[in-house]
Amino acid sequence: MKSTDKWFIEVDSFQHSKHNMHVCGDVFLSRKVKDQNRVVAILSDGLGSGIKANVLATMTASMALNFTLENQPILRTAETILNTLPVCGERKIAYATFTIIDIDYDGETRIVEYGNPSCLIFRGNKIFKPEWKSISINTKDTQDKTMYLTSFVSCKEDRIITYSDGISQSGIGTKLMPFGWGNNEIEHFAKDQIRKNENISARSIAKSMVMQAWKNDISEPKDDTTCGVIYFRSPRKMLLLSGPPFNSENDLKLADIIDKFPGKKVICGGTTSQIVARVLNRDITVGLGFNALGLPPESSIKGVDLVTEGILTIGKVSEILENSTGEDIKPSSPAHKLVMMLLKSDEIDFLIGTRVNNAHQDPSLPVELEIRRSVVKKIIKLLEEKYLKKINLEFI
Amino acid sequence: MDKKVNVKICIGTLCYVMGGSELQLLEEHLNDDLKKRVSIEGTTCLDYCHNEDNGKPPFASVNGKCIQRASITKIINQIKKELE
Repeated sequence: MKSTDKWFIEVDSFQHSKHNMHVCGDVFLSRKVKDQNRVVAILSDGLGSGIKANVLATMTASMALNFTLENQPILRTAETILNTLPVCGERKIAYATFTIIDIDYDGETRIVEYGNPSCLIFRGNKIFKPEWKSISINTKDTQDKTMYLTSFVSCKEDRIITYSDGISQSGIGTKLMPFGWGNNEIEHFAKDQIRKNENISARSIAKSMVMQAWKNDISEPKDDTTCGVIYFRSPRKMLLLSGPPFNSENDLKLADIIDKFPGKKVICGGTTSQIVARVLNRDITVGLGFNALGLPPESSIKGVDLVTEGILTIGKVSEILENSTGEDIKPSSPAHKLVMMLLKSDEIDFLIGTRVNNAHQDPSLPVELEIRRSVVKKIIKLLEEKYLKKINLEFI
Repeated sequence: MDKKVNVKICIGTLCYVMGGSELQLLEEHLNDDLKKRVSIEGTTCLDYCHNEDNGKPPFASVNGKCIQRASITKIINQIKKELE
């Protein structure tokens, strides 16, 4: 996995349903395949809106995703999808668009588009236009069935922005943009977003595009609007230390690792923070006060971004990660703060001391204190599978 | 000058779950005179819990003296003794 060190591929999306629709008829799916060093993202827009469109788009997106992961030839994938989709009762056609973006971690990128607006590719804040090849698909229908293909090698600071036609056609019929927002204006808008903040996250761009389309339609979108963004950027690293080393000879090593770590640093555990403070000869300031979850208050050590209590806090972290979608988390407790930091990072190193605090195993304790190692494993599983983070785990 | 008393409240996991969390309210229970003469701070594990001779958690320390099964009343009594 050495090659992944050079960048992190951030994939995120944002969407808004057509006015008065509870379900969005566009679907954006993405998957990171660790053992193939690969990221595949799909955008599909189903015919019509509401549940019917969502079913078409979900079928299309999942077929496109799985066929691509199985390395099926693209023509076969497209034909299978179009021949499988159920025929719409009103319009007597089976239709859903798709964009397939298939990226190797070394940057080799292939994009296939069918029916969606052409995606925007930015190299830094300049637009990059690779050559596109067209291929026609053979199906029974007579309408235009042309796919567009391109492949190129991505660089760091590249962004690929794909969106559904609800965005390019937003504002249609309004005085300001009688023919809709249009691809040229969208390109300018995206460029502007990147110019204003060159490190803007994938999600922020996607959200700003969808919200602008929403404004264009005077807050009543006439179609489902979705934007998916892929961003090749430097990984945001974080180190989480929890638990005293099994052998106290490793105390020095532990403190040295945290001292030299390039990125955000967190310590969970009173004893662990005492060890670090002692070895690095720094003071621990312990706060007093109550927080939303009734957790022990946080402390602070110079050079460490967050210092919390151990097992109770990480237990709550695991609960929050499990029960939330990662949005709208407020720093109302040390556990919430830690979750926010975890979700803002791409690569997280867990350095877990395995010495067990015997006092915690007393059966007369009013609460059950879990073993650190098992809670941490649960957190890691959630971060990898639900939040697509890259995790390194080491026991000390 | 008046004598000052230093109170440390352990917020280590064990003390915290055994009732130490309530000790954070200590300041609210001090009268105005005591408030001026007492400094209260949190601390990571004071290591009292690893030796049974020290008694049971939650622990606090008043001018370095260990208080076992600490409660707000016990801490205040100890503060008063220190000030005598």
